Amino acid sequence: MAVFKIGKVILRSLFKKPATLMYPIKPREWQERTRGHIEINEADCILCGICAKRCPTLAINVDKAARTWTIERMLCIQCGACAENCPKKCLLMKPDYTSPDVVKVTDTFNIPDAEKKTEKTSAGSGAAPVCDRETCIYCGICAKQCPCNAITVDRKEKTWEVDENVCISCGICVEKCPKNSLKID
Amino acid sequence: MGKRTIIPFGPQHPVLPEPVHLDLVIEDERVVEAIPSIGYIHRGLEKLVEKKEYTEMVYVIERICGICSFGHGWGYCAAVEGAMDIKVPERAEYLRTIWHELGRMHSHLLWLGLLADGFGFESLFMHCWRIRETVLDIFEETTGGRVIFSVCKVGGLRKDVDAKTLEKMSGLLNGIKKELQELTDVFLEDRSVKNRLCGVGVLSKEEAEELGAVGPMARASGVAQDMRMAGHGKYLELGFEPVVETDGDCYARCKVRLREVFQSIDLINKAIDEIPEGDIAVPVKGNVDGEFITRMEQPRGEAIYYAKGQGTKFLERMRVRTPTNANIPAMVKTLQGCDLADVPMLVLTIDPCISCTER
Repeated sequence: MAVFKIGKVILRSLFKKPATLMYPIKPREWQERTRGHIEINEADCILCGICAKRCPTLAINVDKAARTWTIERMLCIQCGACAENCPKKCLLMKPDYTSPDVVKVTDTFNIPDAEKKTEKTSAGSGAAPVCDRETCIYCGICAKQCPCNAITVDRKEKTWEVDENVCISCGICVEKCPKNSLKID
Repeated sequence: MGKRTIIPFGPQHPVLPEPVHLDLVIEDERVVEAIPSIGYIHRGLEKLVEKKEYTEMVYVIERICGICSFGHGWGYCAAVEGAMDIKVPERAEYLRTIWHELGRMHSHLLWLGLLADGFGFESLFMHCWRIRETVLDIFEETTGGRVIFSVCKVGGLRKDVDAKTLEKMSGLLNGIKKELQELTDVFLEDRSVKNRLCGVGVLSKEEAEELGAVGPMARASGVAQDMRMAGHGKYLELGFEPVVETDGDCYARCKVRLREVFQSIDLINKAIDEIPEGDIAVPVKGNVDGEFITRMEQPRGEAIYYAKGQGTKFLERMRVRTPTNANIPAMVKTLQGCDLADVPMLVLTIDPCISCTER
């Protein structure tokens, strides 16, 4: 049995730089992948609301009428599901944490209207959904769920149309179709 | 024979990071009986499967425990993948194995620190946690989080790790190996440490089997039971063999965990050498219909994951049986007849995670 086995480690530590940082005088270095907080590029947002639907903690609220995108910072768990599912890639996971606070912070961003229209026309490059007319029952759920109102369905006339210039290929219609008649390639 | 007294121990106690309460029936300084009670930290996470889509539920399951969070995420995904009959790509399996072993390293290093803190060896405690910090840095660089990783998803992984980072990881781990060797000498040879650990809380092999002990607690008593032998991940391909000690005391439990950290480093290095190129996820379509049980070896022992779905996007039932749950009877057994001063040590050596147990 030995006594004071840790002596060597302690002696070496005495002459080494401390293992801790003098925080906050020396700021912490973030890694490229650190999941710190979510940021939004307002100009690209089309208020489709997929981020709010995908958020497991319901931290994001998208108000289409008021054209706002809101995030409750204390509810957000930095899982990155919103950024991963955003069709326009306008949500970004930034490495630095939000600063500590004594109140719950809610950040609201106004989404500009003018840019949105130009974005829409340029967004038409992606694939638009294709409808299988044999199985389609013209229920209109796809049209109701479409975040850009790109789909028009007429039950009486039995027509189904998609405006390819407006469609953003978000895939919500495909997901919501009760008959699985829609497809995006 | 002295008069019997009941001493309440916990749920708040300086050496216990977890809220477990024990009623200790003592005679003089000797514990005659220990009656455990839990129920201070139930969060109802299993109930949430009825409200969260099965793909979103991974983020919740990960938060069952801050220490074995990767293992919980993997266990849940493995259960759902089993129910949906999904085959995960090879590269994803290798990366999952690497992250799971890193998780084991950081759990065991944390435990070793807490053990040192438990017997009052503060500088040893700090050095263990200093080494653990390197593991957490690796996690942050590869997954983006220090303890909650959010990289596992049903069907594979969300993030890949490039060859350069894997090489760097291997270098860092070899550095940890060298530093940990010095601390291993302290844990296993220092007289003051041995005085506190040797011969304390002996659990025989028969008792361990009878009481259903799992993980390092069972392996320190000579039961060669490790779920990594059951075939999940890439352990069999990496030539995994369980670490077994036979003494069954606190010293043996400490030794098993120390040896497991070294074993994890070797497993990760081997996995980095063998990892194939390829996809990290397969697309998942449809909903869970059917049920599946999977068993995983968490740092603390065997955990069981059960998932049941009925064709909707919400699971009907999700159940997790955690290792601490299985180890409590063995802990109560070792507490009988021990000194009052050894109680914290004995509670610590099962590596209790009450947050996991209650969910």
